[in-house]
Amino acid sequence: MAITTAHAHGPAAWPPDAQYGAATPGKIGMWVFLVSDAFAFGGLLIAQGILRGGRPQWVQPGEPALGIPFTAALTFLLISTSFTNVLAWAAAVEGRRRAAAVLLAVTALGGLLFLVGQSHEWTGLIRGGLVFGKSPRASTFYVITGFHGLHVSVGVLYISAVLARYLRGRATAYDVELLGLYWCFVDFVWIFVFSFVYLMP
Amino acid sequence: MGSSARGAAYRAQYVVTFVVLGVLTLVELGVVRMPGIPTIGVRIALVTLAVAKSALIALFYMHLRFETPILRLTVLAPLVAPAIYGLILIAEAGARAMR
Repeated sequence: MAITTAHAHGPAAWPPDAQYGAATPGKIGMWVFLVSDAFAFGGLLIAQGILRGGRPQWVQPGEPALGIPFTAALTFLLISTSFTNVLAWAAAVEGRRRAAAVLLAVTALGGLLFLVGQSHEWTGLIRGGLVFGKSPRASTFYVITGFHGLHVSVGVLYISAVLARYLRGRATAYDVELLGLYWCFVDFVWIFVFSFVYLMP
Repeated sequence: MGSSARGAAYRAQYVVTFVVLGVLTLVELGVVRMPGIPTIGVRIALVTLAVAKSALIALFYMHLRFETPILRLTVLAPLVAPAIYGLILIAEAGARAMR
């Protein structure tokens, strides 16, 4: 499938790379960006691991415990939004525009709910005594979850932009797929954050 | 395969992946809360489950399974060395703390 006939995106003169099959330069570029973003998250998680590993006592006296059940619900919510996102792509591929649009809107709503949940969690933790800068545990927690929350926020805006373009007929299943790569990456990272920051003993 | 049949085939995989992800999340919670498991065992289990869940998302939701080996290598190869290095650094920090 020739790049120029299937996808009219990016520089028209960019030659398709046969080694990457049907993957367009846009998809390859998105993957390279996501790998670089993975390095950023990896650095933060490794830094937290080193600080935590070097301390016999990670939870300081008076600091609240992290809310595992609530965060598990947030985790399941994020997984669900990845599910609705890929369903949106499948609908777009099939030409079911209304279904694709509804699923994209549901995905964005799920992302917003996740952010509301996280802000609720932060509020409770701050009131409970987990304050940024007071301990390595507190600082690394807010930096890591805040960085992830920033990605979720950008993702919600990205979904909204693609949805708006899709409704006007200016976005295709290809655009929905690229969006899906970013949104699923956000879920991908959260899996590690949940395991290493919240669950790890 | 027509677009409709292709979409249906993908949807079935997505549903199965979603269910498996939910089950693995429950297993994670169970491992953490179950008494009697040594701490090192819980840590290994959590890392393994996290890698398994993220692999499912990458392979099925991000369609890496359907891409060429070169693209898979482009994505996965750069992550291996930092992951190993990170584990070594964390283990070293722990060993220093125990001295």
